[in-house]
Amino acid sequence: MSSISRLSKLRKFFVGEGVIKPNRKYFVFSSDNIRLLFSELINTIGYENFYVSTIVGTDLISENKIRLDYYVVILPEEETVVFRTYLPRDNPVIDSIVDIVPGVLSSECETHDLLGVVFQGNQFLKRGFFVSKDIVDKKQYPLRKDVKV
Amino acid sequence: MGVSKVIEIPYVVELPVGPQHPALHEPLLLKAYADGEEIVKVEVNTGYNHRGIEKLAESNSFYRNIFICGRVCGICNTVHANCYTRALEYLLGLEPSSRAKYLRVVAMEFERIHSHMLINAIIAELLGFEALFMNIMLDREKIMKAKEILTGNRVVGDYMMVGGVRRDIDGVKRDQLINILKKIRERVVYYRKLWMEDDTILKRLVDVGVLTRVNATKYSFVGPVARGSGVRIDSRASDKYDAYGEIPWRIVVYDEGDSWARMMVRWDETIESIDMSIYALEHLPSGETAIPDERKLPRKFPEGESYARVEAQRGELTYYVMSTGGVNPYRVKIRTPSFLNIIHSTILYPGYTVADLPVIFGSLDPCVSCMERIYVVDLNKGVRFRIRLKDLALKKVV
Amino acid sequence: MKRKKSGKPGLINIILRNFISKPATIQYPFQQTVIEKDYRGRHYPDLNKCTGCSLCKIECPADAIEMVSIPGEYIVPRINPRRIYPVINYFRCVYCYRCVTICPVDAYITTNDHRLVSEKMINSSEYSLSTISKGGGSE
Repeated sequence: MSSISRLSKLRKFFVGEGVIKPNRKYFVFSSDNIRLLFSELINTIGYENFYVSTIVGTDLISENKIRLDYYVVILPEEETVVFRTYLPRDNPVIDSIVDIVPGVLSSECETHDLLGVVFQGNQFLKRGFFVSKDIVDKKQYPLRKDVKV
Repeated sequence: MGVSKVIEIPYVVELPVGPQHPALHEPLLLKAYADGEEIVKVEVNTGYNHRGIEKLAESNSFYRNIFICGRVCGICNTVHANCYTRALEYLLGLEPSSRAKYLRVVAMEFERIHSHMLINAIIAELLGFEALFMNIMLDREKIMKAKEILTGNRVVGDYMMVGGVRRDIDGVKRDQLINILKKIRERVVYYRKLWMEDDTILKRLVDVGVLTRVNATKYSFVGPVARGSGVRIDSRASDKYDAYGEIPWRIVVYDEGDSWARMMVRWDETIESIDMSIYALEHLPSGETAIPDERKLPRKFPEGESYARVEAQRGELTYYVMSTGGVNPYRVKIRTPSFLNIIHSTILYPGYTVADLPVIFGSLDPCVSCMERIYVVDLNKGVRFRIRLKDLALKKVV
Repeated sequence: MKRKKSGKPGLINIILRNFISKPATIQYPFQQTVIEKDYRGRHYPDLNKCTGCSLCKIECPADAIEMVSIPGEYIVPRINPRRIYPVINYFRCVYCYRCVTICPVDAYITTNDHRLVSEKMINSSEYSLSTISKGGGSE
């Protein structure tokens, strides 16, 4: 558990927490604080001791929100920690962190192309990166629950 | 400094899915800007697409998805099925028997052996060593036979099921497998010695495509690419899933960070895999059955979410499964290691010559089935012609 | 890690040895490939045991099975009241054997027949119907 204790400086951003099975802790934070959160993480443990594994976006159509999970692996214990945030479904906009953590480039581009989340400041975002042309022409986001592909 | 030639390399990451729905694949263009011989900049243009599976998985039941997810990739099919099955087991709170865990380890390590031999054979072919390529492939046929004895099929072994495995082995088969493994071990040790000493291989691979330790984590590289640069990560050691906590093995790490180190990591891992498989086969626990009764497994899953990681041949592969009670999952997210390694690889190319580009690309082990068409656009003459990746590597064109 | 250059290519040994031995290719069709006995090959249901429950059709990941009614002249055991049987389309099948393991009465017969290219045997109907016999005339 020593890796979680090293993140104690980030506690000021967290508004909730829980566990994803089998034993990954998740911490809920507000989406405005994302750049501060990751800058603080870099200052606390440095570039050599963590990497961002993936970003998972889920369309919660019943609650009218889109949920984003940032999965971060802390080295050298190699423990996975999740940072979770919620965005409003009709205007999912969040700041991009691709200039401070370049490893999220592929995940941000994929989440934009498939769910429609806009990462402000990421100049590589474009439609058609992964999705085929006919769906892009219909202006649909394939992973949203109300889209039939 | 007028750029006179632009080399576009269309590259296909094909993750074959199977007859149930069409595999959508688009080429990933690595636009390399070359000034004379030296590469100046590389851009990633379009992407590959295996996302049809994530949408498809939401309309099929949990158990049908085991077979669908096992067909995302032909070379890594056992690890995909294993990761998804373990995500389901975390949701249900089930644990397989000890014998099933050991058999799962044997199946996954067989796949690691044949995949690493394959990528080393491809690197040998890109360097021009056709004889070495053919010899490694001949020895690889033995491990494919071993996979057929264990799972029932040479390539796609539908071996994983919630609660265990789908077939068992007896004493006769176990001895056959151990014999095959011992024969392969001698050959792999010989190939590894070749990679350490042979002049021609060393000249092409050493100090090509160097990845520093800071960049390896900053740009989220995983797998042997990161372990060749001194990052000590391996999902088998951290999560200790299945029987990896009980079998003795070690993580292979090299510090040089060039293409040679990445290929040596793979040879060392192959030898480790052979030793692990022999240990697991000799110490198979008996007494409990390894095969669950598929008819008695629950159809409806409880609400919850789970996240499973596995060490695939190319790196860390993760599955996220969310269920809201019901027969179909609500969300399945797959993140393959090649996704990170290839799209973030643009920092490795600048500063090296054009002939080094296929070598660097091959040393990342892209999970790809065909990537051998390159367009060379001669801006002066306005002419586009096609050459093979192999010819580019042998400097036959520019 | 130590890398030492030995000066001569290390492949000389294999090259000379392969030069004098015969090629490693199996000369098919004169030589047959060696296949294991429990290779996942052609499979078909035994209609003496099939109850027509349709579980195999529901569980097939490739949607390769269809339930078809048995033609009138066959004698069908009493456990199959609806007189239907599964027909596997061998070209859609992925040979995962989910149907074999999910069947509640173990009605599937498995073989290791891997040569499945044929113009006539594209589904399993003939194999299945050969397991039951036709009645004579009025029954």
